[in-house]
Amino acid sequence: QVRGVVKNENNEGLAGVSVVVKGSSTGTVTNNDGKYEIKASNGSTLVFSFLGYKNQEVKVGNQSEINLSLEVDENLMNEIVVVGYGTQKKTSLTGAVSSISSKELSVQPVISATQAMQGRVAGVSVVNSSSPGNEPTVRIRGVGSISLNPNPLYVIDGIPGGGLNTIDPADIESIEVLKDASAAAIYGSRAANGVVLITTKKGKSGKLSVTLDNYVGTQSVWKTLDLLNSAEYIKYGTALLTASGQAVPGRFTNLNTPIYEGATTTFAQTETDWQDVMFKNSPIYNSQLAISGGSDKSKFYLSLGNFKQEGILPYTEYARRSIRLNSDHNVAKFLTIGQTMMVSNDNRIGEGTAGGRSLVMNIMRMIPYWPVSDPTKLGGYSTTAQGLDATDPENPMRIVVQEQKDRINRSYKVLGSVFAEVKFTNWLKYKFTMGGDYASSIFSSFVPIYNDGNRSRPTAEVSQNRGQYFSSVFTNQLSFDKTFGKHLVSATAVAEKQDAQFKSITINGQRPDNNIKEVQGASNISGNTSLTENTLISYVGRLNYEYDSKYLLSATVRRDGSSKFAPERKWGTFPSVSVGWRLSEESFMKDLQAVSELKLRASVGSTGYNSIGDYDWQPLISANNTNYSFGNASQLASYFNSLGNTGLSWEETTMKNVGLDLSLFNNKITVSTEVYSRKTEGLLLRVPIPESLGYSNSPLANVGSMQNNGFELALGYRLDKKDLKSTFTGTFDLVRNKVLSLATANATINAGSNADFGGFDITRTEVGQPIQSFYGWQVAGIFQNEGEISAANGADGDAKTPYQNAGTKPGDIKFRDLNGDNKIDANDRTYLGSYLPKFSYGLNYAGTYKNFDFAVFFQGVYGNKVYNGTKVIGQGMLRLFNATTDVLNAWTPTNTNTDVPRAVSGDPNQNSRTSDRFLDNGSYLRLKNLTVGYTLPSNKLAKVTNNVLTKARLYVTSQNLLTFTNYSGYDPEIGSTGGNLLNGVDYGAYPQARTMTVGLNLGFN
Amino acid sequence: CDNSDLNKINPNGVTFDTYFTNDAELVAGVNSAYALLQGFGLGAREWFFLHDLRGDEMATGGGQLETPRNQLLIGVNDPGNSVARDVFTGWFRVIHRANVVIESSNKTTASFSANIKNRVAGEAKFLRAMAYFELGTLWGGVPLYTEYVKSVEGSKGRATQQEVYKQVIDDLKAAESALPDTYPASEAGRATKAAAQVLLARTYLQQGDYASAKTELEKVVNSGRYKIVDNYLDLTNEEGEFNAESIFEFVFSPSNGAFNWSGPDGDGNSAQEETIRTQEYSPIGWRNLIPSNKILANYEKTSKGDAKNDPRFDMSFWKAGDKFNNGKDVMDDNAVQGNSSTVDGKTMKISWRKYSLLYKSNAGFATSGINMRVMRYADVLLMLAECENELGNSAKAISLMNQVRARASVAMPAYPTANYPCDSKAKVFEALQHERYVELAAEQVRNLDLIRWRKNKKQTAEPISYFTANKHELLPLPQTEIDNNPKIEQKDQNPGY
Repeated sequence: QVRGVVKNENNEGLAGVSVVVKGSSTGTVTNNDGKYEIKASNGSTLVFSFLGYKNQEVKVGNQSEINLSLEVDENLMNEIVVVGYGTQKKTSLTGAVSSISSKELSVQPVISATQAMQGRVAGVSVVNSSSPGNEPTVRIRGVGSISLNPNPLYVIDGIPGGGLNTIDPADIESIEVLKDASAAAIYGSRAANGVVLITTKKGKSGKLSVTLDNYVGTQSVWKTLDLLNSAEYIKYGTALLTASGQAVPGRFTNLNTPIYEGATTTFAQTETDWQDVMFKNSPIYNSQLAISGGSDKSKFYLSLGNFKQEGILPYTEYARRSIRLNSDHNVAKFLTIGQTMMVSNDNRIGEGTAGGRSLVMNIMRMIPYWPVSDPTKLGGYSTTAQGLDATDPENPMRIVVQEQKDRINRSYKVLGSVFAEVKFTNWLKYKFTMGGDYASSIFSSFVPIYNDGNRSRPTAEVSQNRGQYFSSVFTNQLSFDKTFGKHLVSATAVAEKQDAQFKSITINGQRPDNNIKEVQGASNISGNTSLTENTLISYVGRLNYEYDSKYLLSATVRRDGSSKFAPERKWGTFPSVSVGWRLSEESFMKDLQAVSELKLRASVGSTGYNSIGDYDWQPLISANNTNYSFGNASQLASYFNSLGNTGLSWEETTMKNVGLDLSLFNNKITVSTEVYSRKTEGLLLRVPIPESLGYSNSPLANVGSMQNNGFELALGYRLDKKDLKSTFTGTFDLVRNKVLSLATANATINAGSNADFGGFDITRTEVGQPIQSFYGWQVAGIFQNEGEISAANGADGDAKTPYQNAGTKPGDIKFRDLNGDNKIDANDRTYLGSYLPKFSYGLNYAGTYKNFDFAVFFQGVYGNKVYNGTKVIGQGMLRLFNATTDVLNAWTPTNTNTDVPRAVSGDPNQNSRTSDRFLDNGSYLRLKNLTVGYTLPSNKLAKVTNNVLTKARLYVTSQNLLTFTNYSGYDPEIGSTGGNLLNGVDYGAYPQARTMTVGLNLGFN
Repeated sequence: CDNSDLNKINPNGVTFDTYFTNDAELVAGVNSAYALLQGFGLGAREWFFLHDLRGDEMATGGGQLETPRNQLLIGVNDPGNSVARDVFTGWFRVIHRANVVIESSNKTTASFSANIKNRVAGEAKFLRAMAYFELGTLWGGVPLYTEYVKSVEGSKGRATQQEVYKQVIDDLKAAESALPDTYPASEAGRATKAAAQVLLARTYLQQGDYASAKTELEKVVNSGRYKIVDNYLDLTNEEGEFNAESIFEFVFSPSNGAFNWSGPDGDGNSAQEETIRTQEYSPIGWRNLIPSNKILANYEKTSKGDAKNDPRFDMSFWKAGDKFNNGKDVMDDNAVQGNSSTVDGKTMKISWRKYSLLYKSNAGFATSGINMRVMRYADVLLMLAECENELGNSAKAISLMNQVRARASVAMPAYPTANYPCDSKAKVFEALQHERYVELAAEQVRNLDLIRWRKNKKQTAEPISYFTANKHELLPLPQTEIDNNPKIEQKDQNPGY
């Protein structure tokens, strides 16, 4: 008789470990405390095995007690990977699937799993932008849509849904990214832009585990720009206005007046650094309590989370509270039931804009001799007087207090599922899953009465928009899994139905005072409600076949019926097939000891994308949707605003993928690489219609095609040296995007025109070019004298027609005449570059030395361009506002060696037109995360805390500690503000913060 | 699963087949075409800008004038100009909505009462005609749609300007007979018979057809319904809306400062019925455009040898020392941003007072509910005077002009005067040009006047400084129209662009 305890790496009893006498049928499993008893004779060998741990064999001698700890199996190839509607051994995988573990996810102080994914997976691009809580832009394998937002499908514990911010990243066990069609096609009409599977934590049988993880930190802006101070501003402003023949503002010569009536300071004594005023150090805080455990019958995981992040600009914040309970129960030998459930609430205050201008833009433009606040003004903030100051910037502090502070997004989400699995035999199972996703959002807005001396709001505006989303999924799944000799066959069949419903109500009104922030006692109240619904009915089949662990074949098909399309267009079929060959299992490879795994994979398949409105094919009358006053009393009006399209269908993507997985030296080195071609047809475009048709909305039609071809590489290296254990991982990916066709052969889709940024379109999408390429003029140089201008004007034989502009003067930019007609016009624009990186990469080091642990994570992109709107604001000199110090280097007859054109208000030469002058290299390398942790020795800890604490780890983390970039704006990470075709255009984006946190992980007995 | 769940009908609206089937729906339909007149692309902002920037009444207020506007002002606008495009788009949306109404009024399945059906169709035709009049005059030949377009392939190429004007005339003749002489006060703002007649006259005038224009204008005069009101200020303030001089107005109404920035339609059913005109031009405001020195110098004054200072000068412009905000505040040049003007050799800040809300407000930012009087009786009399003069009845022309000058609050001495002797057809025309310039200043008729006088070769000198022949007669078609309309190619662009 032998007895003992089997423990895990944390020195906790491990339940369910199989203990077998080698070569016999005698066996048992450990109980909840990890204890076992077995009959074993002297000289026999016990084999301990548990999924995810290395097997251990112990020879039985005289001892009656054998205690041991099982080691975690780092052998990546034995990993189990979550795939659509099931799991698969990584070795059997034939598609392109990448996994991220909970370890990688929880190391960073970020809101969501999507943020944590950045740089971790080759082929997944994550771009953060905007204020806390704004979901980052996630693209898998390039950009797959033009008019639609090409987001991946998120599936959370089997339930397709969204709102990843609401899920505490610490609750996530793993994320799987299904990249190629063979992996994703099982999600059919929603999968064309990739699928992200999120699996939340489950309880493990064994001793109750109680952990408390806390961190607290501070965030700050890591870079500011050199803006003009008062004296410089006055010098610049004088030059700017004088050059255009305007009077110098009266204030410039009259600064010795009080900043407001009754103030003791004067404008001359005021020097406001608006960046200093607005950017602040702000706190970030997270706390998570998790309790998990259970028996071999029932297991549970319960967690409470509390997260709050304030932005680095005032009154921007995100806060989340969440509760999760997941449990599994083995009701009978043949029946397992389980559930997941999350309840969360989050609040977000986003960046406020006035007239569409960002806070950064207002900060840059505000005048340095102006005071932050002014108690004599209604609302407490003032801005320049147009007459005296000849300019009208918005006071950014007024914006955050009066246009932002009381505009709050609150959302409540309940996401859960229940399943029951019936095991008919060892090889046939039936699983029924029922899932629900309820999300309620409330946006309440109150903007007060104010008068800043220039702008004012005579009545307060209150509004509330509420949305209620409910989606239910019912899945019936039959799984077959059987080995016939060397043949392994598994098959899955699914029938599924998902219904989604969205109800909204909006109400707004005006109030005569600032006392009440609700729609109470309001005048001019108006309200709307709406209801949209959709249904998706699906049939799914998958067949996996494996011969001798060498030859792998997988085929899937999904047939989707969607209510979003017209009759005759509702159904689509999305097949895929993939094969794999594990060369390392071949006898001729067995001699190569170095190679522990070598697999070749290939796949082809088709997926769809249907993320359009629920009724886009049906044209409607906009009934009573506008009004006109007759006799000054409003009458309702109805109109017919958009054409429908009964031919509307999904975007369809065909993807081919070839992959190779290689492990060397007992999995010390791992290499995984993929090459793919992805072609999307039937792109849904809002076909740009002629203005003369008179419709306000362009109809959607499946008219375009686009391709994304790419290469991905993931490398891993493990080095264990006694006390120092290290893991290096790296990801590298490159994607090339090209538009193959649009609505018509010569069609162009332009975007980005904005009067504050020169007034010309900034990107163009055209056949043969990458999507939304930057498009504009090229700078040839600066006209140094009248002679050069008249020479250019006369080059076409007619000196009266200007080369560029009638107002061109020395010091203005000379643009390049690309078509050789000796004049500059729209035809001299060209493609200037793309926001898409030439490649992107991530480098990660994780190590432990004795009780210390380290993580160093670099992330970067290379070869992309950013249209630097902050440069247009800073040195575009369109109108008189504050500017960057670049304008002090503006061309003058005595300062000719410069690339900043002359200062002249109104920009008569259109020096600020879209050109390569404002196009910056957007490459960056960022030390995304640096962590150092120390875990107190557990035996000492137990002693000191009287056995209360089992674990205590203290760590410090910095996010975005270092950024290497040539980008001259605030931050090179520029997402899109204003549509799919404006990625990489920096209209004054909210910069990413540098974060410093300290954290404490505690485990309780 | 039950596949019938896949058949879902949008519950948030009604489909075309089931709508526009009764009187109320048909009226709502034509209301939506009116609503565009008030939208951002037309009356609320871009339409008055486009006309004003193309005439010679305006100068830049300073660097605050946005680029696309400044380009129009100095004549370097290209086909991408957003102001011109929004107006182009706005008028075509009027046409589309009018077409929907006109076609729906012929539905046999519907239950319309005959008088509503005829009147609404008449209103729609009037609005369609107004749109095509503007489009044809500013852009020349444009695509001509007399039915609403049923599919994206349904676009048309350019018609000729003659064809466009012909359609305008056909529509207006139909409207003239269908429209009532007046409406009850609660319906004020709808197109009347006289509005159709005035627009018809304007169309004839653009084509130099003075006889036909005269016929239409005389109908308006002979109706006896309209007269010159006493107070000149009542023509551009809120209190004088729908007065006896007014024939057609773009209606705005005060909605607590709510302005619909979403152009060019300005749709939506919240109360955003204001125009930003006051903010754009007022001295306490953006002051994007100010009066040109030329128009300031055109007013009669004793210093030039005229018998009297024209009171319309003070009633059209704000200047330092003027009382505003119901007399509570005094205008001060220090509070006024931007450029100065030169009047009688003196440099001072002068700003537009017409349609400015400052007369009863001192708000730093304001939008207003002041209606735009796009057709008024003084214009009718002056157009008739022009017809009479062209047709050889100079005496009649002079007496018509003098009716306008005799307005109680203006009371300018009758023509002939020392500076306007009116002793020949040409001299009468000179007086007429002057009278129209000052009487109708900043009322969006100057641009139309210059276009037709230029076209009909009535001018002795080109008043626009940047004017290039074979280019600036017309605006360029918006590039978006050329790019997206398969029936229009680059070579179809107007000359010079």
